[in-house]
Amino acid sequence: MTAAPPVPVPARPVRPPRLPLDAAGRLLRLELRRNAMLWMLPLAAALFWFVTYRRSMAYPPLWNVRAMTMQTAGVAVFVPTVVGAAAWMGSREGRHGMADLVACSARPRWARQLAAWAATTCWAVVAYLGCVGVLYGVTARQVAWGGPLWWPAAVGAASLPAFSALGFAAGALRPSRFTTPLVAVAAFLALELSAQFIHGDQSYWQISPLVAGPWEIGPNEGVGTFYRYLPDLPIAQVMFLAGLTAALLGVLGLPTGSGGRWLRRSAAAITAVGLLAAGTAVALAGTGRLDAHGMIAIPALRDAANDRPIRYTPVCSHTPIPVCLHPAYTIYLPAVAAALEPVLGEVAGLPGAPVRIDQAAATYQQGPGNSVGIRRAGPPLSGTPPVFHLLLPNQLPGPAMATSDLTAAIRTTAGRDIVASHRRRSQRQPGAAGRHGGHSRHSRHGAR
Amino acid sequence: MNVEITDLTRRLGRTQAVAGVTMATGRGVFGLLGPNGAGKTSLLRMMATVIPPSSGHMRLLGRDPGDYGQRKQIRRRLGYLPQNLGYYPGFTVVEFVEYFALLKEMPAVGVHHAVAAAVERVGLGDKATAKLRTLSGGMLRRVGIAQAIVNEPELLLLDEPTAGLDPEQRVAFRALLRDLGQRATVIVSTHLVEDVGAACTQVGLMDRGKIVFQGTPDELTARAEGTDAAGDAPLERGYSAVLAEARS
Repeated sequence: MTAAPPVPVPARPVRPPRLPLDAAGRLLRLELRRNAMLWMLPLAAALFWFVTYRRSMAYPPLWNVRAMTMQTAGVAVFVPTVVGAAAWMGSREGRHGMADLVACSARPRWARQLAAWAATTCWAVVAYLGCVGVLYGVTARQVAWGGPLWWPAAVGAASLPAFSALGFAAGALRPSRFTTPLVAVAAFLALELSAQFIHGDQSYWQISPLVAGPWEIGPNEGVGTFYRYLPDLPIAQVMFLAGLTAALLGVLGLPTGSGGRWLRRSAAAITAVGLLAAGTAVALAGTGRLDAHGMIAIPALRDAANDRPIRYTPVCSHTPIPVCLHPAYTIYLPAVAAALEPVLGEVAGLPGAPVRIDQAAATYQQGPGNSVGIRRAGPPLSGTPPVFHLLLPNQLPGPAMATSDLTAAIRTTAGRDIVASHRRRSQRQPGAAGRHGGHSRHSRHGAR
Repeated sequence: MNVEITDLTRRLGRTQAVAGVTMATGRGVFGLLGPNGAGKTSLLRMMATVIPPSSGHMRLLGRDPGDYGQRKQIRRRLGYLPQNLGYYPGFTVVEFVEYFALLKEMPAVGVHHAVAAAVERVGLGDKATAKLRTLSGGMLRRVGIAQAIVNEPELLLLDEPTAGLDPEQRVAFRALLRDLGQRATVIVSTHLVEDVGAACTQVGLMDRGKIVFQGTPDELTARAEGTDAAGDAPLERGYSAVLAEARS
C-alpha cells in the first residue's frame, strides 16, 4: 500500500472500457459478466435439445406445430433454470454477508436489484431466442409453405422475465442457499399444475404460458394453416406475464430500505399496475372460446380479419383424379396420392365421380369438459362438377404418423368415404349431397 | 466538524450496544479503541448509516442522516470497511471495486481511473484481474480498503482494517491512513494500540457502550503515569489505566 498521491495507473491489469457507458450501463455490464444464468446456459441448451428440439422435430415440418412446441415445451425447460439462477442472484447479498457493505451505498437497493435481475433475464431471453432461432432455422429449411409464427415465441420469451422476477424476489426476500432449489422446483411444479386445472375453453387457467391452444389437443397440425394463428390468447398471456413481472419487481421496491419515499411510492404504483394488468389478462382468458378453426378466441381482443381464410395455391398430384393438398402439407402428397390411387382409378370417369380431391380445413367444437370435436367443414362431396373434400388424419390431434400409418389410415377412411359419397350421390339427385360427419375425435391425451 | 454525535444510543435486543456516546471530530485519523463488545462496531455502523440510532443526534459531513436525501449525500462521500467483509468470489478485484464505485454513484467517466488508483493504492495492482476467491485473507482486506477509498471519501470508517495484514502491509496501511487523514475524517476501530499510536491524531476509548476517554495518543499514554497499569508499550499502559479507572 502506498500513501503518496498522485498514483500512477497500472498499464496492464486495468484496461479502459471499450465502450463509454453510463453508470447504469456499467453496472449492468458487470452483472452480465458475473451472472449465475451464464453458468446455467449449457444446462438450458442441453434440456432444450433433449426435451424441446427432439420433440419438435418428431412433428412434421409445419410452422404451427413446431412453433407451439417451442412455447409449450420450451417454457417448461427454461423456467426451472431461470428461476433457479434468479433466486441465486437474488439471495447473493445475504449469502455472501454483503448486507452492511451495500446498505451504506448511495444507489438505492432497488436499483442494484433491478440491475442483477435485468442481467439474469437478459441471458435467459438471449438463450431462449437462440433456441427459437435454431428451431425456426431448421424448420425454415424443411417447410414447404408459410412463415414462422411469432406469437408462441413471444409468449415463451415474455414468460422468462416473469419467472426470473419470481425467483429473484424469492431469493432476495429469503436469502438462503436452499431457496434456489426449492423455488426452482416449486415454480416448475406450479407451472405444470396450472394447466391441469383447465376445464373447457373458458378456463382462467388458460393464462398459463404452457397453453398454446385448446389444452387437451395441444400442438395440432390443423390450426394456423387454413386460417390465421389467433393472437387473442397470446396477447392475454403476454399481458399477464408483463403484469406479473411488474408486480414482482415492484414488490422488491416496497421494503423500507429499498430507497426513498418517492422510489417506494413508484414501486407501489408499479406493483398495483402490474397486478391490475395480470388480473385483467386472467379475466380475459376466462372469456375465451374455442373458435371453429381450433384456436382460443377472446371476444374483447377479437379481430374479424383473422376469420378470413388464408389464400393459397394447392399442390396437386398427377393422378386420374387430381389429389390437391394445402401447400403446407406438400410432404404428404405422394403418400396420399398413392393411398387413394386404387380407389380413384376405380371411380374415375364414372358419372357423379369427383373430379378432384381437395384437402379441407377442420372445424373444431368444444365438447363437455376438455373434449374437442373435430370434423370436416361441410359435406364430403360438393359442387358441380363434384369435388371431394378430404380431411387428412394428420389434421386431427395425436402423435405424428409415419408414412405407412398415414397411407393405411387414408385408405380405410378417405378411400371408403370417396366410394360411399360417390354411391350416394349417384343414387340421389345431383347436388343433393348428404350430410356426413367426417372425422371426429374426442381427444383425451395430454397436450404436449 | 465532519462528525458530531450527541447522546447517541443503540439497543440491539436486550443489549445496550451504545449507551450515550457524545463525540465530535474533524479531519484527521481518529482511533476508536476498546475491548470486545465495547460497542465500537455498533457505533461505526450507525455512522455508516447502516443502522439508525435508537436515540440521540448525529450529524455527518454537516448533514442529517435521518433524512433520506441528506443520507444519500452522506453515502456518496462515505467509505466503509465492515468488520466482516463480504465479497462475491466470482468478481475480480477491479470488478468488485468498480461495483462499489458505481453503487456510490460516482460519475461514470471517472470510475475507471478511480478504480485503478484505489487498487494501486492498496498494493493490488498486480492482482487487479484476479478473482476474489483466489486471494488470501490479507489481500481481501486490502480489496475491502480499496472499495472504501475508491470514491475519495470525506468520511472513512474502517472497522478492524489491519486484521489479517502482515507487518509490512500494516506499516504501509498506516502510511495510507495518515495520507487519507489529511483530506478526510478517518475513524478506525481497532484492538491494536500500535495502529493508533502510529497513525491516529485523536483517540477515543470505548467501554460498555460509552466513550470513557477522548484525546490524543500522547494524552492516553500520560494517563498511565503513576499507575501500575499492565502493558508492554506506553500506549497500552494508558489504555489499561483508563479502562481500570472507568470500571472502578
